[in-house]
Amino acid sequence: MKTTKLLAIASVAGLAVTLSSCGGSGSGASESSLTVTMWGGAAQKAHVDSYFTPWAKTKGVTIKQDSPTDYAKIKAQVEAGKVTSGPTEVEPNFANTACEAGLLEKLPQDILDKAKATGVAEDQIGPCAIPILQYSFTIAYNSKTFSGAHPTTWAEFFDTKRFPGKRGFWKYATGGMFEAALLADGVTPDQLYPLDIDRAFKKLDSIKSDIVFFDTGDQMTQMLASGEAPLVQAWSGRIFQAQQEGEKVANEWNDNLVSYDQIVVPKGYPNKDLAFDWMRWFLDNPKAQAADADASIYGPASDKALEFVSENVRKELPGFPANAERSAGLVDYGYWAENYDSVTERLNAWIAQ
Amino acid sequence: MTSAATDSSTGRLRGRPRPLRLSRWLRFDGWGALVLPLLVFLVLVFGLPLVVMLSRSLTDPSFGLQNYRDIFANAVYPRVLGNTFLIAAIVTVVTLALAYPYAYLMTLVGPVWRMIMLGLVLVPFWTSILVRSFALVLFLRDTGAFNSTLQTLDVIDQPIPLIRTLTGVVFGMVQVALPFAVLPIFATMQGIDRRLLQAAESLGARPAGAFWRIFVPLSAPGVAAAVLLTFVQALGYYITPALLGGPKNTMIGELIVQQVSTVLRFGFAAALATLLLLTTFLLLVVAGRFVDLQKHLMRQT
Repeated sequence: MKTTKLLAIASVAGLAVTLSSCGGSGSGASESSLTVTMWGGAAQKAHVDSYFTPWAKTKGVTIKQDSPTDYAKIKAQVEAGKVTSGPTEVEPNFANTACEAGLLEKLPQDILDKAKATGVAEDQIGPCAIPILQYSFTIAYNSKTFSGAHPTTWAEFFDTKRFPGKRGFWKYATGGMFEAALLADGVTPDQLYPLDIDRAFKKLDSIKSDIVFFDTGDQMTQMLASGEAPLVQAWSGRIFQAQQEGEKVANEWNDNLVSYDQIVVPKGYPNKDLAFDWMRWFLDNPKAQAADADASIYGPASDKALEFVSENVRKELPGFPANAERSAGLVDYGYWAENYDSVTERLNAWIAQ
Repeated sequence: MTSAATDSSTGRLRGRPRPLRLSRWLRFDGWGALVLPLLVFLVLVFGLPLVVMLSRSLTDPSFGLQNYRDIFANAVYPRVLGNTFLIAAIVTVVTLALAYPYAYLMTLVGPVWRMIMLGLVLVPFWTSILVRSFALVLFLRDTGAFNSTLQTLDVIDQPIPLIRTLTGVVFGMVQVALPFAVLPIFATMQGIDRRLLQAAESLGARPAGAFWRIFVPLSAPGVAAAVLLTFVQALGYYITPALLGGPKNTMIGELIVQQVSTVLRFGFAAALATLLLLTTFLLLVVAGRFVDLQKHLMRQT
């Protein structure tokens, strides 16, 4: 009965591993369907309603949805040669590395040309990807806590004497905290990349006991609105949405770091031509992009779409001239594509110390 | 599992023709064959993929032990692994301390209260873990229900830091683990013949003595099951510690997810998972030397 004992032990031990992994649901590709994968939630609904469904109606295509984006799933699908995910919303550093690794379809030249021609910023276009939305990492503050003065630069954001209270950062290497730390330490925006990670950690060390991390957007707005962390390096759109819902929170647009998401097509997706067709339509329809901006508070891929966005939302987008002028620049995802792994490892170690 | 094993050990097999060795090992007494589809299913969708995935730790990106060397090259991984086992152990102890008296109380009260007590355990069990974790965030944070109530009542001046601390993690994880401890303990306790306690007392034992020397040992199988379920489950948690814990309470599950889903180093993630599996295995074997797991879990003698 030694074997039964071992079996019992093995099966129980197996639990430990299965419980730390979980899967999502997928949907297959058929003749005239497009499986769209995005980060989920209200934003995904806004994106799909504004620029996938209208296109699908004119073409008689069925839109299937999946969420959230799962890089491991893309890699596994491509490696297994069974790709069911079509257009997928990803972060640009993933688009860079995955494109080089051959996990993504290279976009036809005419799409890349069209993107440039329709006012998409060239540094947001990659050989496998076009941007679909823009946002900023802003200095978000609780307007009840800081009813008088609030930090307007990253240096002030790091000044815990003048502005006491916890600081919220996204627990994610590409979440903007290293850029913010270096800007706070006096690095000029044009000298930011390649990031001096040692120097950034030194700056972060100086306020480490005041740092709280968040993993999700809901956590972020919750800790800011509740005053638990009256200052947060935030995703601009979420703060504006919370403000619309009556929370005492606001974006400071000075020193904002512009970021964006891209859309890619995994290599070997059977309906890739449909996906490319949608991309062309998307670029040709600034009004659809603007409708999405109104619904999701994410800036449109092309600044030319801004004029169709409603007045009060436009002020809260990174492309709005007054915001763009005060920006500290665009997050350089080319840098992050190369350094994400190593910086993540250092961040893990720093956090655990 | 338990009831089938009990049946076969109470002598129902007596008088039947002696089965073949292999089928005896599989408990092939007709009804036992019903387990086969499940066994095949488990091997196909759980066993095989697990082997394929874990073997990548030796082959991805290149053949060899490089992934394992990488784990020990960075102090953060051994530390987080140690942390994981420590938190799992604390959670197990706290859960047991709460679940045992709770289950005991359930055996004492009438049927209505028993249903209510069972409901109190099961309703959270059926609620999404994310919902529960976020609810706990609202409850435990500095400006949350717990602290603001105590502040309003002037019990405390400054909020007690509960969230993003070990306390927060243990609070959240115990709450998740409680049903897995209460249910097996309660099931075992219900099967204990109370007359044994009366017999002990009639022979001169004090009630406390009878409880400790008769009831507690008889409830051991349930406790063993509860401890195993809680501990092994706790090792794999990552949502609750991520939401309720501080940076220092990172558990290995969180790092495995990170490696799989954002860094995309499948081989390295597999190495971390294998290490977790092997350490768990080792720990259970060591525990098995002191506690007869087989007896307690399979109720075989």
